[in-house]
Amino acid sequence: MPLESEDIKKIIPQRVPFLMIDRVIEASPEKVVAIKNVSTNEPFFKGHFPDEPIMPGALMIEAMAQAGLVLYRQKFPNDKLLFLVSVKARFFEPVIPGDQLRIEAAPIKLLSKMGLVRTEILVSGKKVAEAEIAVASRDAKA
Amino acid sequence: MTHNLEQEILGIVSTILEKKPEEMPLDAHLVRDAGASSMMALEILAALEKKYKIVIPEENLKDMTTINNIISMVEAAKKKR
Repeated sequence: MPLESEDIKKIIPQRVPFLMIDRVIEASPEKVVAIKNVSTNEPFFKGHFPDEPIMPGALMIEAMAQAGLVLYRQKFPNDKLLFLVSVKARFFEPVIPGDQLRIEAAPIKLLSKMGLVRTEILVSGKKVAEAEIAVASRDAKA
Repeated sequence: MTHNLEQEILGIVSTILEKKPEEMPLDAHLVRDAGASSMMALEILAALEKKYKIVIPEENLKDMTTINNIISMVEAAKKKR
């Protein structure tokens, strides 16, 4: 089931300029595929870097985390706000204006109030980043 | 076999908790004595599921209090598989 920008806003709380996914082309509890078109107009390119625009790795993590959140919401639509707990990430290629990010997220384990997801970003079929991301709600305690 | 399982699980748990295996008594309470958090418990659970191709239900998370308990849980889950 594809989700457009307005549908995405219903399931995750991030907003422009911090909404890092434009569209979700596949969404199930087993897999989410999201698209982010990186334009020259992105506010972060102004400073990162003035003469050589490169998307900050931290924001690529944000994009992967947001795709992970969409995935989590497929299984637990009503859980409270989730916080980032841990990130293990690797970056392979820089992302520059004009790139279209294909952000894929799959569950490692999703529990109520916390989840562990595996995510990656592809540009033209080539993997540019990957991350294992853990999220939890503030009241998650074992 | 059981001894191997014990060593493997000890290895998995100590890696996630960033401890040396020899510092981890099998009956130590993971949260109280070894400083584990609920997220580490989730990581341990995910690692065990992947390694032993088992499914551990969410309710079992609260019983994963010591390495010995985790070993019995994995043994039970392997039998069911």
